[in-house]
Amino acid sequence: MAMALPAAPERRSTSFLRKATTRQAMLVWCFLAPSLLVFLLYRILPLAWNIVLSFQAWSPLKPAVFIGLENYEEMLTDEVFWQSLWNTVFIILSAPVGIAMALGLALLVNSNISGRNLYRTLIFLSYPLMTVAVAIIWRWMYDERVGLLNYVARLLHLTDTPIPFLNSFFWALPSVVVANIWQMLGFYMIILLTGLQNIPSSLFEAAEIDGATASDRFWRIILPLLRPSIFLCFVIGMLNSVTSFDLVYVMTGGGPGRATEILVTYIYKLGFVQTRFDYAAAVTVVFFIFLITVAWAANRISGGNAGARDME
Amino acid sequence: MRRSPTWPIHLALIAVCFVMLVPFYWVLKTSVSGENIFTFPPSIIPRNPHLFYYVDVWYAIPFARYFLNSVIVSVITIAANVVFNAMAGYALTREFRGKGFILILFLSCMMVPFQATIIPAYLITGQLGLLNSYVGLALPQFSTIICIFVFKASFDAIPGSLIDAAKVDGLPEWRIVWTIMLPLAKSAMATNVILSFIWSWNNFLWPLIMTRTPEMQTLPLGLARFLSYQEDTTGALYAFCIMVLAPGILLFLLAQKEFIQGLTSGATKG
Amino acid sequence: MEAYSGSRQHGWRKWLLNRFVLVPAAILAVAGAWDLYASAHDDGLVIGQVLDAQGKPVEGAEVTLWVFSFTTFAENRSVKTGSDGSFRITGNPSHHIQLSAAKPGIGASQRIPIRLYFRSQNTKLAAPLVLPGKA
Repeated sequence: MAMALPAAPERRSTSFLRKATTRQAMLVWCFLAPSLLVFLLYRILPLAWNIVLSFQAWSPLKPAVFIGLENYEEMLTDEVFWQSLWNTVFIILSAPVGIAMALGLALLVNSNISGRNLYRTLIFLSYPLMTVAVAIIWRWMYDERVGLLNYVARLLHLTDTPIPFLNSFFWALPSVVVANIWQMLGFYMIILLTGLQNIPSSLFEAAEIDGATASDRFWRIILPLLRPSIFLCFVIGMLNSVTSFDLVYVMTGGGPGRATEILVTYIYKLGFVQTRFDYAAAVTVVFFIFLITVAWAANRISGGNAGARDME
Repeated sequence: MRRSPTWPIHLALIAVCFVMLVPFYWVLKTSVSGENIFTFPPSIIPRNPHLFYYVDVWYAIPFARYFLNSVIVSVITIAANVVFNAMAGYALTREFRGKGFILILFLSCMMVPFQATIIPAYLITGQLGLLNSYVGLALPQFSTIICIFVFKASFDAIPGSLIDAAKVDGLPEWRIVWTIMLPLAKSAMATNVILSFIWSWNNFLWPLIMTRTPEMQTLPLGLARFLSYQEDTTGALYAFCIMVLAPGILLFLLAQKEFIQGLTSGATKG
Repeated sequence: MEAYSGSRQHGWRKWLLNRFVLVPAAILAVAGAWDLYASAHDDGLVIGQVLDAQGKPVEGAEVTLWVFSFTTFAENRSVKTGSDGSFRITGNPSHHIQLSAAKPGIGASQRIPIRLYFRSQNTKLAAPLVLPGKA
């Protein structure tokens, strides 16, 4: 179409843009305005408000009073807070397990076999599904009386008495984690697969000539070159699972006791069940600092710019 | 290269696919039979399958209402997303004062998960008077940073000469965007539509907080509510699950390529 | 200026005839057809016959319609059978019902559960209600 017109050199185009008139600058800001407004309203303002609120005693019926660090002091002795922080850490630490499994899968579906697209589709299928429905499905897989897992366990004589997965203090959190990994596996796999396909095949050919073994290939070529993808998985997976409110809320509601309470569910309960907005805001601030720290650490370890990516 | 046999790979992948699919099958089976809620051991193939649990769900809850709410919120979200993100992405391809600041602002906003803002977000929405409304339900997701960058990347790939030529011809800015840039950014748009659909369709926490009346509830909320009073009594719950999952699965199967492309580009281009 | 808008003009077929339009359209069509069918067949008719143990039609038996509500079935309405043992209930409001028949001296039949595909669907009993005694 318009390609037929005389093509201006690239340099001209930038000088053309440099000469942007006030009107054009206005236009740029107008184009940015809606998005900026949304982010201001739902990212920046809330963050600031959270911080202010965390130093106050306030509820919708009481006027706000500045109380300094009292909310944070309360947190120090709040066992539920520490429990949910620990549970959150547990979920984060489980992410590498899922990623390792996904790496194996990515290697398998990257091999030259027939039907690999079908395999990719089937494995990926669980990711875009509604988490509430996934949680209900897994609730029932874990069920003590009629759950599939207990049925299989009894069939194989692994256990004599049914295991009450979601009602046991020991099993509840790992059970939630397994469901989470089940849902995220396909996503990790696709990210790692993209990374694998970006590794130049000449590297493998060179390794072949040098007589490298399969394990050499994995440890010397694949793993180092996949590092950015792996950390991308980790950061996204972390943000995704740490904030997987739906899964925990529907599967266990944080119970039994507080065995599966994570920070997000605790914040929700504090804010919208107990109407303690002020204390909930303080917990949110700590949660946020915690997230930033983990993402920053992951970013440092990966040595790249894999952080700062959020899949909501 | 020596070819090793492929059957171990197939075997491993079939096993994994089996694990991934069994929960679906089991739910589907229960939704048409409901039987193994009372029987042990459960049977693999449903006995006397029937569709009446679906009928029960349809009349037990206002499914059509929930569905309509979900569709309305998703459509608002998708429309706002495509328009706002395309605009912002386009703006970011230009040079202007304060661009560096905006980029840093966007990147740091990305690190703020929505779940960490629920309390002020709720209060702000209350101040705007949008609690319990469709716009309020969709508003926090009106624009997403990842998709802005996806748009920016695809606009950047358009040769500058094309735009300059159009300017020389005297085309107004909005026509340049509309007739030249958007058609060339189709894949970015597909990505954006898919991502914003998943996010709004599956969103649970925000509707949970801000809807007040059953008339405004969306499907995930309806499902969670149904669970709370229908708990393991019938196959109806699982029929509901299937009804809720079906649109997502259908869309995924229809737009598989765009889906996977979109998710990976959304994740890696950011 | 026209040069820039040319690419879209002959593309309406492409916009209309692709799987993203056709599949939802097909689903809507099926749903619409189902709705039409349902609205044409939702008079709440339940038709059937009452027989005695020997298979003879029972006249004047009382047939009761039970309607599911929450966890139990509640009695909704009842009619008497005609001379050929047939009955005709109108105004069934539900999709999940039970039917029973009884006549003093002959006894009462079992309650037969009936599930319908939509509320008030017109239905004809496949098997007659059978009373245990002899007419």
